[in-house]
Amino acid sequence: MKLFSFKLLCFRSLCACLISASFHFSVVAADAEQAKDSLERLSQSLRQLNFNTSFVVVKNNQAEPYHWLHGIVKEEIDNSLNNDEVELEILALLNGPRRDILRINNTVSYIEPEYAPYSISSEQISGPIPTVFGRDISILENNYHFVSVGKNRVLGRAAQLIRIVPTDSHRFGYWVWLDQQSGLLLKLAVITRKGKLLEQIQFTHLEITDTISENLKQLKATELPKIIDLTIAETSTDLAWQVNWLPSGFESIKSDRHRMNTSKQAVEFMLFNDGLVDISVYVNPSKAKQRAVEFANDGATLVLNQVINNIEVSVVGKIPLETAKKIVNSVSFNRKLITP
Amino acid sequence: MSESKFETISSLVDNYRATDQKSEQAIDEILKDEHLLETWQSYHLIGDVIRDEIPQTLQLDLSAQIASAIADEATVLAPNKSSSKVDSGIKAKVIQLFKPVGQLAIAASAAGLMIVGVQQNTADTNEVITPNQIVQTKPFGGFANPVSFNYSQNTKSQQQAVLEQRIEQQRRFQALLSDHQQQIKLSAVKKNADKNSSAELKAELEKIN
Repeated sequence: MKLFSFKLLCFRSLCACLISASFHFSVVAADAEQAKDSLERLSQSLRQLNFNTSFVVVKNNQAEPYHWLHGIVKEEIDNSLNNDEVELEILALLNGPRRDILRINNTVSYIEPEYAPYSISSEQISGPIPTVFGRDISILENNYHFVSVGKNRVLGRAAQLIRIVPTDSHRFGYWVWLDQQSGLLLKLAVITRKGKLLEQIQFTHLEITDTISENLKQLKATELPKIIDLTIAETSTDLAWQVNWLPSGFESIKSDRHRMNTSKQAVEFMLFNDGLVDISVYVNPSKAKQRAVEFANDGATLVLNQVINNIEVSVVGKIPLETAKKIVNSVSFNRKLITP
Repeated sequence: MSESKFETISSLVDNYRATDQKSEQAIDEILKDEHLLETWQSYHLIGDVIRDEIPQTLQLDLSAQIASAIADEATVLAPNKSSSKVDSGIKAKVIQLFKPVGQLAIAASAAGLMIVGVQQNTADTNEVITPNQIVQTKPFGGFANPVSFNYSQNTKSQQQAVLEQRIEQQRRFQALLSDHQQQIKLSAVKKNADKNSSAELKAELEKIN
């Protein structure tokens, strides 16, 4: 009798366990589904809405304010066949020397103090907000989980918090707060696995309108600088070294030899991307024989470099220190690096 | 100015000396002649450029550079009126919108690299591998100071060496960071853009740089 009741107890608790586990699992699945829907809605809203917004990037105890405008207008051309929509976008840094990024459809112009204005043929502007948010978010699913966490009040609006959690410990998590009404971004935070905040973007103003703003009308009438064709430079160059370890999902975007834009140092270069994060690897000959690993943080972005046997290897990207160290140590050389 | 004098300068620059008496005579001549002195200087500069030893902030004549920069900016910034389809009323405003950019660009290039300060980072000390030197790009007093400012403030020699080392380190990090951002921008390029005068345009960009 005693034994029986014990068995029953076991069975009951097992049942309870199973039920609660399955219930928990379904909740998680529903959360993930809801999170993905929200991110897809963000992507749509970023491409389709007319918005006029301001945000600050907060990192290193500093705030960088930006003004960001986006709009869609119907092209009014005499030719009735060509009645397309024109997508317009402006992203302007408001402090310090002027840095503006302008976009008309697939032409993106960068206006920066270092260079004369130039344009490239691209569908997206690359600023502080990850470009993947305006695109197909599902490419992140292999390396990140989407978790819908809860509701919050951000920028005086009802917001839904979605966590983009990496599946391994080699990258950072991204928390996004999305406007329930419009689906747009209200806040973004880059968080370590231990929950330490590294960098955040806080929106300070959001205006959604039916028609495009005056600035965008001006942009539409503007001729952007000449497009620089980079397709030749884009073809990957055969380099004398390779990176043997990267977190899963990182793919080589390009490899080339170039001079760095400020130091003019000639480098061999590879760029990797997992859909959300970019990692640059630089290799160049150095005057120093050996130099131990040095690194600096700019918000979530880590810059790490070391010199071994007169060869300097550097890694830059929004990745944890351990990941960068592992990447640097995985670089191997096929033949002696030729001094350019 | 005879060719042979230039040749003497050239060989002196390259550390090839004729018989001692002859080269001493040549050196005396160079020292007297302003034109030959200029040649001496420019031969060294040519050598430095060829060996890629010029400092990054080499400025021979700032005024000439600024003048040429202004000339460059003006041609690039002013939209081409003839090929425009819109009325000039809107256009005029747009030019206004773009104009300050060029001026700032010159100011920035004259100021040179903006360096931020260094701070020991105490976070993440419980790492398995002992962190070497953790440096945070945090500006002094909330804004970035030019390099020269940092140099002039610290005169104590032992501090100077450490500071110079740190500035060098910071410069390296800044260069990497800035190039990383630039490469990300350029990597967003759509493939198969149907432009064919690419080599010419690339050369143009390099010239601007």
